[in-house]
Amino acid sequence: MTQEIVALPTRRPLDVSSLPIQGLLRLVSNSRVQLALAILMPIIFLTIFRSVLPLPGPLDTNLRAMMQPPSIEHLFGTDRMGRDLLSRTLAGVQISMFVGFAVAMLALAVGLVMGTLSGFFGGVVDRVTMAITDIFLAFPSLLLAIGLVSVMGTGMLPVVLAISLSDVPRFIRLQRSLVLTLRTRAYIDAARTVKASQFWLMTRHIVPNTIAPLLVAASIAAANAILVEAGLSFLGLGIMPPEPSLGNLIRDGQSYLEQAWWISTLPGVVILLIAIGLHFLSDGIRQVLDPRSRK
Amino acid sequence: MSERQLNRIRGREVGTIFQDPMSSLDPVMRIADQMVPPIMRHLQMNQETARAEAIGWLDRVGIPDAGRRIDAYPFEMSGGMRQRVMIAMALSCRPKLLIADEPTTALDVTIQAQIVELLRELTVETGAAMIFITHDLGLVARFAHKVGVMYAGKLVEFGPVKDIFAHPCHPYTQSLLDTIPPVNQPERRKLTQIPGFPPDMKLPLVGCAFKDRCAAAHEHCFKDTPELSARGPGHRAACFLPEGLGEARHSDAETIPPMVRNSDDRVVVEVFNLHKHFVGRSLTPWRKPPTVRAVNGISLNIREGETLGIVGESGCGKSTVARLLLGLDPVTSGDIYVDGMAQMVFQDPSSSFNPKMTLFDIIQEPLVVTGWGNRAARAERVNELLSQVGLDESYAQRYPSQLSGGQKQRVAIARALAIKPSVVVADEPTSALDVSVRAQIINLMVDLKRQLRVSFVFISHDLLTVSYISDKIAVMYLGEVVEYGPADEIFRHPSHPYTQALIAAVPVPDPVAEEARVKNPLSGELPSPLNLPPGCAFASRCPKATDYCRAEKPILQAYSGTREAACHYAN
Repeated sequence: MTQEIVALPTRRPLDVSSLPIQGLLRLVSNSRVQLALAILMPIIFLTIFRSVLPLPGPLDTNLRAMMQPPSIEHLFGTDRMGRDLLSRTLAGVQISMFVGFAVAMLALAVGLVMGTLSGFFGGVVDRVTMAITDIFLAFPSLLLAIGLVSVMGTGMLPVVLAISLSDVPRFIRLQRSLVLTLRTRAYIDAARTVKASQFWLMTRHIVPNTIAPLLVAASIAAANAILVEAGLSFLGLGIMPPEPSLGNLIRDGQSYLEQAWWISTLPGVVILLIAIGLHFLSDGIRQVLDPRSRK
Repeated sequence: MSERQLNRIRGREVGTIFQDPMSSLDPVMRIADQMVPPIMRHLQMNQETARAEAIGWLDRVGIPDAGRRIDAYPFEMSGGMRQRVMIAMALSCRPKLLIADEPTTALDVTIQAQIVELLRELTVETGAAMIFITHDLGLVARFAHKVGVMYAGKLVEFGPVKDIFAHPCHPYTQSLLDTIPPVNQPERRKLTQIPGFPPDMKLPLVGCAFKDRCAAAHEHCFKDTPELSARGPGHRAACFLPEGLGEARHSDAETIPPMVRNSDDRVVVEVFNLHKHFVGRSLTPWRKPPTVRAVNGISLNIREGETLGIVGESGCGKSTVARLLLGLDPVTSGDIYVDGMAQMVFQDPSSSFNPKMTLFDIIQEPLVVTGWGNRAARAERVNELLSQVGLDESYAQRYPSQLSGGQKQRVAIARALAIKPSVVVADEPTSALDVSVRAQIINLMVDLKRQLRVSFVFISHDLLTVSYISDKIAVMYLGEVVEYGPADEIFRHPSHPYTQALIAAVPVPDPVAEEARVKNPLSGELPSPLNLPPGCAFASRCPKATDYCRAEKPILQAYSGTREAACHYAN
């Protein structure tokens, strides 16, 4: 005797967060995400296609057009060596974006692994990891990055490593707390009753459920990394001129603020836009993923 | 009405008791600070007389040493005590109407009986009317005078309690009453299940709200909405048919043949002298760490195809026994022997499944982990399991969030059965479900147990359900089994005073029977398992306890041939 079918499909709305394509669609239908995309997409497109655009190279000097204000020819104006500032800003954005992305991914990956192990196994592993994490968290991230850069030297790689290192503890903490709450879920116990291995529990049940909040944290970390990179470059500890980065563009212009406001201001506005865009993006992702904020 | 006008009515005219006593009192305010100002305001008393009044009320609701406890914080009190404080607060301004919204749902049966008895006495004494909102029909039968049955935002039946229970007229009331496991029935019948779901309240409703789930629905029901109409003195129902389901009401209740028991059925679970202690951390290294003795020497055995019910109040160690049986926690001492595999159905259907996995992956997980069969064989097994638990194969690709509570519990059962376990441990599998859905799950488990001859351990605080589904019952109190034997026998003639009190505390959905029962709720609360008394653990609450009980611990002994009881004075 089999049971009659007593359960018909419910009329509840689909939980699309678990289906990748529909999840993406819902993400895009969120108003904050749309706002974020409206801000970020033009910047990203211009950056990607800047070699195709009719712009002089970021390092091309033109001594006949020094310190020119924004015009049709040079939308962002030129600096004291006649270099096109739009071109330089876009090159700076490229570096910023790369730094932001690299830092977010690196911090996420390390935080994911260490946080999972720490939260899942507990005991000595957890205590050692947490002790190290706490030491790093005690330093302000910019200060820590400055210290590390001064040891490792300037350039792209040291900057990425330095900023990641100050972000990793945050990710470890976050992942650990997520794992601690997930570890007590009944489905973990259910899997343990059939003697599932710890690797199985971590990879099948724990990690997939932590990805969403980690991505939110990663988008905030990316925005933060872009700001820290700009800060380091501004202090002369990041990307070295003449290679442009948003930070050293602002520094270049600060001595001419009265004569040529555009040199500092316009790259500054771009940083602001990127940071705001990424924050909206993370806010949107959080709204979509967090069922409590759904109407 | 403005907030100010409302405040004049709140407290003075209408008192409220909320569902969860753990969150309805402000945790940072002393009881006095929460109780005294409303009394001062509504009864125009000064600080001192209001405080005396509050102490008087706390005393009346049974708070010992009320004069001192009034300065306690809520966290210093147990759930039952907090609910008593809530009642004292609600009544302290002498309201004309008391609204109690599921006031006992969060409490244990014995505490529930105390609170209900208290509410009844106090409303009689003060002359306040009470609206008691509950899903528990037994409680309604126990002390309501009139009953209103609501469905989809409307009153569908209203009348005197005896009429409603003896002659329900609306199909919904009729089905609801039949979903409860009956008491004292010579043969067991299947419970009525109400198919489908309540209507989506976001959509406009045409016709009767219950039509989609009603066996007697006809054309008329789809067009017009029935209004409440008279069925007797003071009895009204909103149905076009005078008799509701009428003859159709009992037609589907098929009887369950009693289980054929062979004495040579193999024993699948054997537990001997099981102990589990949780050792805390001591405040100072030289002090002995506090030890919670959750399970203290339990011996049980379950034969193939048998269902063992474990009952007891929260904190008695029944869930710990379940976790030990499944090997989720290590035992402190004692032996557990399980022939084959043990699997589990959890209480909370919402956290039982990984939200990122499809039902297919969820059900096949035990098979994958144990390396059972190949992909095709597993797919076939998953489909077989889905049909066994009454779900369509198309469900395999859904996610848990797309299911209702009852469907989730079906999936949980399917997952538990996947590896053909010899025993399935179900820890309160129906307590998170609606009454109508509960009946579906109980029916399903009864069917599966007969078809597959799988043994169940059914853990619950709901004695009616446990005695309905189980062959054997173990009654637990503070980590010990105090009575153990055949379910019917224990339910009809309990021998241990605790079992007697538990059964007396269970409200029976029959107002006439409820009236005849002697109501003498068990006083007191569960002692802390941190320091157990040397003698009988139940002595502090037992009406029969003597000095001998407090000094000498009774052990589980054979009683009347078929069962065992741990009491010096069992009868």
